[in-house]
Amino acid sequence: MSVLVVARWTVLEARRRRLLLAGVVLSVAFVALFAVGYTLLYHDQERSLLEAQARGLGQPGGLAAREELLAVSTLLVVLGLYGVQFLAALLALFLGVASVSPELDSGALHAVLARPLSRLDYLLGRFLALAALLAGYVVVMSGSLLLTARIVAGYQPGDVGRVVGLMLLQVLVLLAVSLLGSTVLPTLANGVVMLTLFGLAWLGGILGFVGTIPPGSELLANLGTAASLLLPADAVWRGASYHLLPPSFLAATSLGGSGEGQDLGLPFASLTPIAPAMLAWAVAYPVACFALAVAAFRRRDL
Amino acid sequence: MSRTASAEEWAGATAGTGSAVPAIATSGLHKAFGPRVALHDLTIKVEPGEVFGFLGPNGAGKTTAMKILLGLVRPTGGEALLFGRSPAEPAARRRVGYLPEHFRFQEWATGVELLDFHGRLAGMAAAERAERIPELLERVGLGGRGDERVRRYSKGMTQRLGLALAILHRPDLVLLDEPTSALDPVGRREVRELVRELAAGGVTVFLNSHLLTEVEAVCDRVAIVNQGRVVASGPLDDLAGAVTQLRLLLDRVDRELLALLGRHGQVARVEGTGVTLAVETLDVAPDLARLLVASGYRLYGLVPVQRSLEDIFVDLVGEVREG
Repeated sequence: MSVLVVARWTVLEARRRRLLLAGVVLSVAFVALFAVGYTLLYHDQERSLLEAQARGLGQPGGLAAREELLAVSTLLVVLGLYGVQFLAALLALFLGVASVSPELDSGALHAVLARPLSRLDYLLGRFLALAALLAGYVVVMSGSLLLTARIVAGYQPGDVGRVVGLMLLQVLVLLAVSLLGSTVLPTLANGVVMLTLFGLAWLGGILGFVGTIPPGSELLANLGTAASLLLPADAVWRGASYHLLPPSFLAATSLGGSGEGQDLGLPFASLTPIAPAMLAWAVAYPVACFALAVAAFRRRDL
Repeated sequence: MSRTASAEEWAGATAGTGSAVPAIATSGLHKAFGPRVALHDLTIKVEPGEVFGFLGPNGAGKTTAMKILLGLVRPTGGEALLFGRSPAEPAARRRVGYLPEHFRFQEWATGVELLDFHGRLAGMAAAERAERIPELLERVGLGGRGDERVRRYSKGMTQRLGLALAILHRPDLVLLDEPTSALDPVGRREVRELVRELAAGGVTVFLNSHLLTEVEAVCDRVAIVNQGRVVASGPLDDLAGAVTQLRLLLDRVDRELLALLGRHGQVARVEGTGVTLAVETLDVAPDLARLLVASGYRLYGLVPVQRSLEDIFVDLVGEVREG
């Protein structure tokens, strides 16, 4: 009951601070920009391919042209969703960082926690409300982008459910770790720590990707994995990006030989699904962070 | 069950049976923040229905003690109980209201929203909140301002809002941490009236203050703390009365007079034909007057001079500081 009261209060705060309004306005702008850019680029590409074919300059047969078109649309969708997950990740970090410590510093929390409200219930209410706001953001944004791609280019991702599910998991990981930071660190210090961790995880993903380029580097791959264990955010996004690729694209890249496949392998997307062990770690991670946050907050003198 | 129990406890306390569960009981309470010790061995007891003043200079450990009583701070030693239960249990804080020292609240919310949030947390039903909140805003002088954001409130208004939050759910125990620090003299008088009203309704009030007049005006009993220790405690009258003095004005002062006065108290000072006499109780005054007149002295004046809490406070706190 108290959990719901705190959750409601948290959503009211997001409304009052115009967080919701700003989020909606910027999201609509982002989606509109994507839709316009995607439509123009796609049709432009389509036209030039058709023209090339008509002039007989294209490769014999329509297969390569269709593949190229598919590659372009896939690239654009991956880029768009990358933008969405990046914004969602930053939003999760900001909301998590601001979830507890600012009110602790100002003293506004004293009167609240003197009520018959356990610290577990308080943190749970905060976490659930922020997670719901972020989940709404991720679902609406990624849904709008994928729908646009489908209408414009008939784009079919491999598995929409897993794409969105993994993106939600990434957001939960980031929210939980920054909420943990918010119960033990002052706001500014927590912000710095969280952005550094996030940057490290991102860099780890890039290193891991570079490690896979032939001839391959085990050291880089291991560094990438270590960074992902520290904060399984980028790794989860890469897992989501794999399911974003249409089955026909994956088939084409494996058919088209290593040269074609590597060209389309993006440094911030993955051609392989997330490892089951990493997925298990990413699921356990927010649970562990939340449990640690509760333990730390219970012991803390206000 | 708890309501009946507390009503009985209160009746028991007023009847002086002493069997009631105290509203607040601490024993050997100790709190250290790293090497700094904020509270040494604090043992106090506040009976239901009492107005208890917790008095001390800034930094004496008053706020720490109050935070322990609310479960906001964990003691490093000893025990604190609210109506017999540990304040670390959320349910033990159900009948407790609190005004924090710096009365900082979520500034993005309106006064009504804040009261509604706290009412929900305190377990008040919707109908109860709808009735109580407007009435309370009126009561603390914020009528018509409830829909403004707290950010726009002045310091005094914020403190009034804090008082409203503290008494919102009609608690049995109210803890006020420096409740008048931001208020002008009129506001202070209003707070005093509020405390008296609460006391009249049987509510226990625990008041932290460094303002002696504040405590003197409303409290039944006080504990004076300094550097984390209680240096004096007891009913206000006892503390002040223990050192009651009488000032006498006579036609003459001679050896027989001083001898006579010496049998009823201790002569503190002689100035001309005026004598200041320290007595144990004011009850000696009528007998003394009769005796003096019977002995042929002309008595122009006989006035009790009570030492103020401030005198006692300065004496005690000064002594400890020197020690």
